[in-house]
Amino acid sequence: MESKFSVDYKDCVAKIALCGRLDAVNAPVLQDELKKLMGSSVKDMVFYAKDLEYISSAGLRVIIFAKQKVGVDAKVYLVGAQEAVLSVVKMSGLDNFMFIQETYDE
Amino acid sequence: MKKLELAAKLENLESMLTFIRKEAEGLGFDSKKLNQIQLAAEEVLVNVINYAYPDKDGNIEITLIPKDTRGLEVEVVDWGFAFDPLSMPDPDICANLEKRKIGGLGIYLVRKLMDEVNYQRQGECNILTFIKYK
Repeated sequence: MESKFSVDYKDCVAKIALCGRLDAVNAPVLQDELKKLMGSSVKDMVFYAKDLEYISSAGLRVIIFAKQKVGVDAKVYLVGAQEAVLSVVKMSGLDNFMFIQETYDE
Repeated sequence: MKKLELAAKLENLESMLTFIRKEAEGLGFDSKKLNQIQLAAEEVLVNVINYAYPDKDGNIEITLIPKDTRGLEVEVVDWGFAFDPLSMPDPDICANLEKRKIGGLGIYLVRKLMDEVNYQRQGECNILTFIKYK
C-alpha cells in the first residue's frame, strides 16, 4: 500500500488520514503538513489510522509534535487503528492521552 | 552469516530494512514478529543515520547471524561518534503529552520489542546487536 497522508481542517477539527507506513522516511512529510495548521484553532485532532500498517517512533513523534505545537488544547483521537499500530502506541504510553476509538462522530 | 554495508543515509534505509526482513522471513518468523524486527531495525539504523556522523559521511555495516533456527541476531556497526544508546534513560511514558520530551522513544521500543540488546565500543566502532527469538 502506498504511504500517503492528507490533512483536512474545518470548523476547528483537523482530520488527518494516514495510509501505509509512517516511518522515519515519510514522517517529515506529515509533519510539514501539520505545521501548516499552526496558529489555527484546533478543538479536535483526529488521526484516521484504519489504513495505517506500520508506525515507528518517528511517526509517534509527529503525533507528539502535533499535540505540543498545533493543538495544545485539542483532544487527540486515534480512530480505527490496526493491532500492529495500536500496540506500538500503547507501548509508548501515548494511549494515555489519546482517545482510541473505532469511529469518530462529529 | 550475511553482510551488507551501505552509506549511513536515509535513502538507504529501505534497502537495509528489506535485507533484514528477507532473512527473518526465511527463518520463518510470524508476521507480528517480522514487524517487530523491522521496527527495532528502523530505530537502530535511524539513530546511526541521524547521529553517528555529524560532520562527515560514513557507513553502516549490518551482519545477520541466525541463531540456529530459533532466532536472529542483527549486528549494526558504525565508525562514527562514540555513543551508547542503551545508556540513555527510558523516556517517561507516563508524562503528560504536552510535556513529553521528543527523544529516547526509539531505543525504548527496541528494548521492549527485542529479546536481547547489547552495545559495545570496539576501537573506532560502535557495535549494537539485537536478538529476536521466534
